[in-house]
Amino acid sequence: MAPRSLAPPAVRAPGRRPARRGRLLPWLLVAPLVAFIALLSVYPTAVTTVEAFFRVSPLDPPTRFNGLANFRALAANAAVTTSWVNTVAYAAVGVVLSTVLGVAGAVRLKRRFRFRGIVLALVILPWALPAVDEAVIWNWMYDPNYGVVNSVLHSLHLIGGYHVYLGLDRWLTVVLIEIVQVWQMAPLSFLIILAALQSIPPDLYEAAQVDGASAWRSFRTVTLPLIRPAIAVAAVQALVLSFNVFDQVYVMNGNAPLGSSLMLQTYLTTFQNLDFGGGYALSLLVTLATVLLSAGIIALIYRKPVAT
Amino acid sequence: MTVSVTRRSLAPAGTRPRRPRPRPAGLRGVRLLGRAVSVIVILAWSLFPLYWALNTSLTTLNGAESRPAHLVPSPFSIASYQQLFGVSGSQSGFAFQFGRSLLNAVIESGGAMVLTIVIAVLGAYAFARMEFLFKRTIFTSVLATLLLPAYATLIPLYRVMSGLGLVNTYLAVILVYTSGFLPLATWLLYNYFSSVPRSLEEAAFVDGASWLRTLTRIVIPVAAPGIAAAAIITFLLGWAQFLFPLVLTSDLSAQPVTVVVAALNGQRIVPFTLLMACGVVTAAVPGIVAVALNRFIISGVTSGAVK
Repeated sequence: MAPRSLAPPAVRAPGRRPARRGRLLPWLLVAPLVAFIALLSVYPTAVTTVEAFFRVSPLDPPTRFNGLANFRALAANAAVTTSWVNTVAYAAVGVVLSTVLGVAGAVRLKRRFRFRGIVLALVILPWALPAVDEAVIWNWMYDPNYGVVNSVLHSLHLIGGYHVYLGLDRWLTVVLIEIVQVWQMAPLSFLIILAALQSIPPDLYEAAQVDGASAWRSFRTVTLPLIRPAIAVAAVQALVLSFNVFDQVYVMNGNAPLGSSLMLQTYLTTFQNLDFGGGYALSLLVTLATVLLSAGIIALIYRKPVAT
Repeated sequence: MTVSVTRRSLAPAGTRPRRPRPRPAGLRGVRLLGRAVSVIVILAWSLFPLYWALNTSLTTLNGAESRPAHLVPSPFSIASYQQLFGVSGSQSGFAFQFGRSLLNAVIESGGAMVLTIVIAVLGAYAFARMEFLFKRTIFTSVLATLLLPAYATLIPLYRVMSGLGLVNTYLAVILVYTSGFLPLATWLLYNYFSSVPRSLEEAAFVDGASWLRTLTRIVIPVAAPGIAAAAIITFLLGWAQFLFPLVLTSDLSAQPVTVVVAALNGQRIVPFTLLMACGVVTAAVPGIVAVALNRFIISGVTSGAVK
């Protein structure tokens, strides 16, 4: 704590504070922040936007304007098309699964009970761990020869023999990889929705109960409308994360086009084929798609009239 | 639009008064059982993969490659961990590789955490407490970069760092992490500072304390939980990074553990027992942090996520 000054407060009149330093100070405080954001976020984004229309190849200079050629090359590239479709599938599975799991988990863990604190701490654990680790672990669980998924399904007589899960069937690969990402991001949806659930006044449920509403009906008419904004936020989070899925795909799918995502395709285009212009163009398209989709979901969930 | 989301979802959590209602004993039993089952299912979903990694890491390769799989480590063996930490002589190069990449990850995520928090505390304090020209514009612009996906900055950042000769250095990784984490940290701290009553600071100002003294002696101690939340979340984010260090580093002088674990997994020759031991150790650091400090994370994540 600051030591109390002996002088009476009135001695320091407001006008006596050095005005110039007072005006400069806020700028000095935000300067490092602004410098970082300007140089390492805004400037790179501008470069991506501009150079998407340039031919950029470090091994084969010079860099020069080539209009829409990068975009045309992308449209003609089958691997890019595959990764667009895959990414839409990743995002669809990711948004639906993590939102449903988040709502279900939050509804089940809403009430207080003994050890609830510990349970919450353990539930958020997958969110805190590196996606690479998680992908390596799940990759082993899906292992065709010794994986626990095979072992359990076989012991339950659900499958006749051990199967290969990743890398054969496109949609199975996409869904199984996305489950790993859902495992990581569902806790975030869960926490966001839980916070909203806990802010609903209990009187509303009592009123619904007095009116003779069933549990499902009061969930639909009381809970759902009130947590709609939280669901929107959780869905946008899941959308952005799954639309940018990379780590899990890199570990579990490798460079194969079969399960490739847009982020993986961007990485390959740029850093393996060294086609920086193509990488920029793809990055720009995906950035725009991400931003538009996020805005779209928010608008959709906000505009929709409250269900009754 | 997103700000209004915050306002609505940030209503105080857990303030629900308890109103026990009499219920028939049988029904209560069924409900309790139902709740217990759902808690067990939720915990199994969250923890089983981690248990499975631990299980595999604590047995021999033969034990891990049994059909059907052993649900507990059998035979029990800590050989993988001995190998990982270079206790057993064989493959000491492997132990060196893993140890060095752990150290790199600690330096990079720790460095980014310190830098991010220092810069964000100064900025957030100015945004929360001072008036200046273009304040709202700057604040909104900083927060808007939260919406930018990694795509938008990845390639130019690589080229900037490569132009500066910083590729494969701690500095490049720390600077890039910091630029990525600053908007979230600033937002978390801004919220926290705004919730601290001004009266304490005003008293200090009246007593003639400088802004620096007010910040370090009054605001920071009072806002310590918020700063802790921002620091923990920043550290966890740094520890989990993969794509940026994959691009920005090329060998053990700066590669963090995530990049090395992915490379080991990709080689397809490292035994699964050893890979799982790597996974367990790499996950243990953020895992322990997350469980021990979960209160900070839950408050930080919920206020930060609904940005």
